[in-house]
Amino acid sequence: MRENRSMAIRYILEEIRHPKAYLTLIAVGVLYIVVLSVKNPYWGDILTMTFLLGALSLSWNILGGYGGQFTLGHAGFFGIGAYTSTLLLIHYQISPWIGMLLGGGLAALIGGLIFYPCFRLKGIFFCLATLAFQEVVKIAAVHFRGLTGGAMGISIPFKAGLANMMFQGKTGYMLIALSFMIIIALVTLVMARSRFGYKLVALREDEDATETLGISTSRCKLLAAMISAFFAGCLGTFYAHYSTLVDPYSIFDMMLSVEFVIFAILGGVGTVLGPILGAFALVPIDALMRGYLGQGQQGVSFFAYGMLLTGVVIFLPQGILSWISSPLNRLMEALSGEKTRPEPRAGKIEPQAERAEKPSRSMQPTSILEIAGLDKSFGGLKVIQCLDFHVREGEIVGLIGPNGAGKTTCFNLITGFEEADAGRILFKGEDITGLKPPNRISKKGVARTFQIVKPLAGLTVTENILAGAAERAGSIHEARMKSRNIVDLLGLWEFRDIKASSLTLGGRKRLELAKALATEPTLLLLDEVMAGLNPTEVEQAIQLIKKISNRGITLLVIEHVMKAVMSLADRVVVIHHGQKICEGRPQDVIRDPGVIEAYLGKGYQYAEG
Amino acid sequence: MLKVEAIDVYYGDLQAVQGASFQVGKDQIVSLVGSNGAGKTTTLNAISGLHRPRSGTIRFGEINIERRGSHQIVELGIIQVPEGRMLFPEMTVMENLEMGCYSLRARKNFKNSLQEVIRLFPILAERKEQLAGTLSGGEQQMLAIGRGLMAQPKVLMLDEPSLGLAPLVVEEIIETIKTIRTRGTAILLVEQNVFHALSISDRAYILENGEIVMEGKGEELLKNEKVRKAYLGL
Amino acid sequence: MIGQVLVNGILLGGIYALVSLGLTLIFGVMRIINFAHGQFLMLAMYATYWLFQLYGMDPYVSILIVVPLMLVIGMGAYRMIIQPIIDASEMTHVFATLGLNLSLQGIALFLWQGDFRGIRTSYSSLVIHLGPLYINIPRLIIFLCAIAAILALFLFLKKTYTGKAIRASAQKRVAAQLMGVNLSKIYMIAFGIGIAIVGLTGAVLMPIYEVFPSVGSLFALVAFVVVVLGGLGNLGGALVGGIVIGVVESVSGVFIAPALKEGVYFIIFVIILLLRPTGIFGKAVIR
Repeated sequence: MRENRSMAIRYILEEIRHPKAYLTLIAVGVLYIVVLSVKNPYWGDILTMTFLLGALSLSWNILGGYGGQFTLGHAGFFGIGAYTSTLLLIHYQISPWIGMLLGGGLAALIGGLIFYPCFRLKGIFFCLATLAFQEVVKIAAVHFRGLTGGAMGISIPFKAGLANMMFQGKTGYMLIALSFMIIIALVTLVMARSRFGYKLVALREDEDATETLGISTSRCKLLAAMISAFFAGCLGTFYAHYSTLVDPYSIFDMMLSVEFVIFAILGGVGTVLGPILGAFALVPIDALMRGYLGQGQQGVSFFAYGMLLTGVVIFLPQGILSWISSPLNRLMEALSGEKTRPEPRAGKIEPQAERAEKPSRSMQPTSILEIAGLDKSFGGLKVIQCLDFHVREGEIVGLIGPNGAGKTTCFNLITGFEEADAGRILFKGEDITGLKPPNRISKKGVARTFQIVKPLAGLTVTENILAGAAERAGSIHEARMKSRNIVDLLGLWEFRDIKASSLTLGGRKRLELAKALATEPTLLLLDEVMAGLNPTEVEQAIQLIKKISNRGITLLVIEHVMKAVMSLADRVVVIHHGQKICEGRPQDVIRDPGVIEAYLGKGYQYAEG
Repeated sequence: MLKVEAIDVYYGDLQAVQGASFQVGKDQIVSLVGSNGAGKTTTLNAISGLHRPRSGTIRFGEINIERRGSHQIVELGIIQVPEGRMLFPEMTVMENLEMGCYSLRARKNFKNSLQEVIRLFPILAERKEQLAGTLSGGEQQMLAIGRGLMAQPKVLMLDEPSLGLAPLVVEEIIETIKTIRTRGTAILLVEQNVFHALSISDRAYILENGEIVMEGKGEELLKNEKVRKAYLGL
Repeated sequence: MIGQVLVNGILLGGIYALVSLGLTLIFGVMRIINFAHGQFLMLAMYATYWLFQLYGMDPYVSILIVVPLMLVIGMGAYRMIIQPIIDASEMTHVFATLGLNLSLQGIALFLWQGDFRGIRTSYSSLVIHLGPLYINIPRLIIFLCAIAAILALFLFLKKTYTGKAIRASAQKRVAAQLMGVNLSKIYMIAFGIGIAIVGLTGAVLMPIYEVFPSVGSLFALVAFVVVVLGGLGNLGGALVGGIVIGVVESVSGVFIAPALKEGVYFIIFVIILLLRPTGIFGKAVIR
């Protein structure tokens, strides 16, 4: 434990020495100096709004950019915070600083309650639901006049002083807004490097694959939503005291919600700098245009924002940051004289003690997996009927059968992606039939790969594996160490910083395996890992799987590449039309007439003569 | 009639088909057999214009078609009955057949085509107004083939017509395919069920990992030990 | 009293049904996401307005110009913005069309400012009496237009080759391609038809509604609610859903509070999404 902490401190100290860190500190320092020197209220206002909107966009980015759940109702939380603290101030004289926290808390609570059920909705429906949410809040604010002052809103009497979050001149406001922005940026940064952060971006890339890693995607989304809403609520309080007026049409404005999204998308969604860049790029220009164009400004503004949004989404989906990240990285390298990404100190890696051969089976090998009487139909078609088989500890069992026999469906039933119509599935003696969602089964120690591999495309190889290790590890450093072990085991060291989407098929299959292994499973289900590999790669894969088995992991393998089945499997189960038609040693099974008929067709053995 | 020469087909960076060459002549049944993932469906999709080969040529008569769009290939008379049938589930049997006749060339002969299809598959007439999604497996396959025939194909490509069907039904389908050949249509058959495919083929090609590793007359390959080995890894 | 409220609701439902018809075709059938749906309505309304102001053309006559105009605009918008990204993720579609939405609003704001503009025809307030109830003629006409449009669209989809191709492409894209359907052409036509219906809606709305740059937004939100409620791609469902929302709005406006009436159907929307995402009529089907 103490080792972990000292490692953490060393890690931080090293990071600070790095150009990224001190350049950022310098930039922050410059911003503060600028704030303190600006005296012109016009510019003061622009800067305050820039920082405020940047902070709001950052808070949206936590759920939207990192979590991939694009909401269009973020201003709803902004407003909830504003109204809450204002009402508490006016009716109960509660200090705005406390009211801010309470407002943020209420926003987080409402966010959690409303968004949690909405997370089941896919894509555009989720967006629409969040839009509807904001509209409802706006309508409620207009209607419940007694509470909220209706369409006219509530105004806060001006009283200068830090305690009241109000100041003469703009400097005080600018400082607070800037500080908020920095704080939220820091929180985002810390979150991104934590286990939670890796889980969040994993689920953004592929929810099913993430569930397989034992991660509860709904809980992660909920937490992200609440953090996001909390900050928006707090910022609402600030805005209330800045503008001294809280009214529904300004604060629950649909365009405002869209702006947060535009800043993040323009700057670079899912990054810390992105929303800041976007806000800095757009808000001042927009404000300046208001000065020059007057009447027509709003139209031009809408038009420009609209074209930008469409343009960026189509041509530069990763935002401005992706443009400038390589020159920026080169600058960093030049400054520090070393590679941009410092490798995490390896520390002491204990290579897993590998056994030369399989341990001899104990007298009573435990049953790891038991399938009994399983049935599954899709529509009218019976895909699995009355399927029985079992897998014992330490075995490698091959699951073979012609195309369409039901093998992948079987995997989906075991891992909780489909629900059986009848029958039982026992894992280590425990009934897991119908257990949902899939992460609950994965957490128990069942890992799988997918026939069509599901890499977390936008993440690097290391980040992929970290996501796998994140759930079981006690700390981020433990997770990093375990990932490092897996990277070495699977020969992925040279690819560790490459984005998963750039890997070849062979690489992606290895990554799929690595992710699954990172969860430290008891039972590993492999779905056609050999498909599409050339003979050399097949041989490598076979050796790898043997290594994995020697570590004590039980394997259930769907395969078509017979060579692999023959060299790996202790036992083979043959499935045809959703039923087991044969079981036994590989060499016996493939001579079985029933099996030959299933694969090659009825008359075949007779044609042999 | 249809000549495929050394095509390479890629999915992203994954090479699914490498240097495949074969041909199908009028009145012929040619089979492409191979295990799952060997590249059979990819080859058909390349011919159908759904997926452009990176190199190589596909010739239909005198015309090069490897760069043509899928709707143009259909107009030329090269029709695919896809794997898994891919019927329009919420359209009736009749509407599915009508869709089969979508191409301008086929539309003119709608009535005649319909008569022929009904003659081949009388059960479809009975089920005319039924939704395609409610038919049995065998009936769905018949509808899928019928739909393909409505397009007046010069080349008919069938992707795993026996998939998921009971043995008796498979026998029927095989017989039907033989009948279609007698009408002058060239048939390209892709199958995992090797025995059936080889026993009715004039010529067959064995695909493994995207490459053609063996070719020959159907009945000769039936007796060939190597084919059995390729499948069961003996 | 209650009778009149219901009648108002039903007539309002006709409006909502007509607005949603194009969306249920585009989004419900083709699964093309278009967050700019409302802005096309706005354009059609402005077109009708200017034809009236500049040439004295009666809105019902201007249908002959506005509908083909919107058909062309719709097909053009599809080609330029949606087709290039047709295979991209849903979110890309959402934000690309959201950008289009803002751009169109921006153009309208710049050209015509935020003023509310309406036209007054001789029949705008014409009313017929049915016993104690009175029915506003232009609203009745809209209702009838909705029914006519639904019938016409239904026949088109059911009987013509193009219509069948649209349905087929929506059910199984690859199979449709194997039948010789030119997917991009069919998508473009379907999108164009959807927007043409929006054009019809804009024209018949002008006698009774005023146009301003953001008029489309609220209508579009309602359209999404109606489409989900009635079942994606379900033409009859668009009518029923529209009427339900219209009645709910009318009733809550009177019996709950005028300011809350929109809130009610948004809440209904979210509840439907959560409980029965396939809408009132279950699995969305075009028969």
